[in-house]
Amino acid sequence: MRKIGLTTTVPIEVLLAAGYTPIDLNNIFVTSDNYLKYIDIAEKDGFPKSMCAWIKGIYGACIENNISEIVGVMEGDCSNTKVLIEILKNKGIKTYPFFFPHSHTKEDVEKEIKKFMKCFDVSEYKVEEVRQEINEIRQNAKELDKLTYIDYKATGFENHLFQLCVSDFDGDVENYKLLLEKKVEEIKSREPDRKKIRLGYIGVPPMTGDIFDFVENFDSKFIYNEVQREFAFPRASEAKNIYDQYYDYTYPYDINFRIGEIQKQIKERKLDAIIHYTQAFCHKAAEDIILKQKIDIPILNIEGDKLNKLDARTKLRLEAFLDMLYDISLKEGSN
Amino acid sequence: MRVLGIDLGSREVKIVLMEDLQVIYKKKIGTMTFYRDYCKYDGKVVVDLEKLDLGQVDKAISTGYGRNNIYLNEFKAINEIKAHVYGAIFQTGLSDFILLDIGGQDVKVVKVEKGLTTDLELNEKCASSCGRYLENMANVLEVDLDELSKHINNPVELNSTCSVFSESELIGKIAEGIDMDRLCAGVNYSLYKRLKPMLTKFNGNKLVLTGGVAYNHAIKEYLTNDYKEIISVKEPQFNGAIGCCYYGSRF
Repeated sequence: MRKIGLTTTVPIEVLLAAGYTPIDLNNIFVTSDNYLKYIDIAEKDGFPKSMCAWIKGIYGACIENNISEIVGVMEGDCSNTKVLIEILKNKGIKTYPFFFPHSHTKEDVEKEIKKFMKCFDVSEYKVEEVRQEINEIRQNAKELDKLTYIDYKATGFENHLFQLCVSDFDGDVENYKLLLEKKVEEIKSREPDRKKIRLGYIGVPPMTGDIFDFVENFDSKFIYNEVQREFAFPRASEAKNIYDQYYDYTYPYDINFRIGEIQKQIKERKLDAIIHYTQAFCHKAAEDIILKQKIDIPILNIEGDKLNKLDARTKLRLEAFLDMLYDISLKEGSN
Repeated sequence: MRVLGIDLGSREVKIVLMEDLQVIYKKKIGTMTFYRDYCKYDGKVVVDLEKLDLGQVDKAISTGYGRNNIYLNEFKAINEIKAHVYGAIFQTGLSDFILLDIGGQDVKVVKVEKGLTTDLELNEKCASSCGRYLENMANVLEVDLDELSKHINNPVELNSTCSVFSESELIGKIAEGIDMDRLCAGVNYSLYKRLKPMLTKFNGNKLVLTGGVAYNHAIKEYLTNDYKEIISVKEPQFNGAIGCCYYGSRF
């Protein structure tokens, strides 16, 4: 099967139906031991220092892994993707655009997906067949999520990783299906590991994957990973078809729609506070203004840049924030 | 409930007793005097509560410079960021603000949102932006701190990074015959200039000013360039100790 690179989640069912092996370049970049090398490749080719590490990492991963075809999300995701795709196109890489329409109407979403299907010459029937098959995997990812916030058996990191990888099924659908099934069974057999402070993580997945384990040192646990959960499409089995599924997807559309789902999860999971991660030089940092206005539980905004480990200052900020949250949770616990 | 808060500062030890969230006693003791007259040495340093003569104490919380070096019987130690934030929340009734605490040797800038610390910055290698700098410069000028703090306009330029070199620089200006008003303003303004880089990341409308330097009128005036509202508290020097009492009463 031919590989095709992704810059973020796209209707993967279409690509699988067309016989491709989708590869999420973000995952290749961030999980590599040589992740800094990917950034270097991009900077040597002229990407500015003041551009986010993810864009440069995707570029490096694309070049280094001989990806010859790529789907770029030109609307609804990162505003830098447009230029990234143009640069890759000029290097001879075949590029396919995809748009999450800002209008966020069902008609417009359907129109974009139909265009996408036409581009890869696949039928709606075939796409639906694939969708039903992979919905089983999505169900299992949902199960893992429940094992985090209801049973407290899965760690925050597992919740992050196993939902995140649904974006491309780790490059091998069948294998990932088995891996996830085994993981869920293993987690079920564990004893619960309850923590005092229930945290939510919102924003793009972090460069600094150690954040999940770090907070557990302070009697805290991430039991909600917003975007990772969206990547796994927890509401897919309720969607009538592919159009509905990608309409009911919060991350790339307008912020109020996204906040609605976050608020629902805050209530459902009884979250004490939220950590909002933003990437240095990303326009999404400004979304913090709206998020802090509309969400009424405490929010700490942290920023990551190139390093894949939390720096000392961010650790100190997290520690100070969690320390005071702990005081409040003790008080509420005693009331 | 009677809660005792002790803030072991670098220059002074601040002691506050609160009953039902009202301050009923406060006392400042020089650090040396505190260790000499109010502590016992029994292999380790132990605070002699009887000598403080406070009567009944139900809970005791400590913070500050020496919090880990001193054994306070039945005291619970909390970190000083938290102590100062709680102090400021209690004294202002606010839950969203920037806290600037300037003590003898420490500067803390803390962003507080919804009653929780979300960002902080501390001075690390150097204390030239602190109260001790003002004390030393006031000594050179042979004025008291109160007098020094009144002078705001037309400050003489003082550029040294090092606070010791600043004294020589100031002596040079005295020798040039510059008047007292400009010399004093220069000292105040040079402290403000040292603080400014620490404040750039802390945007906000309300700045709560605590610590001994909060008594400095000139610094307050200069800070109005950066913040819409500068909020003074009733007891800027006791803020950490009050925060300890508030913590002890609430949690």
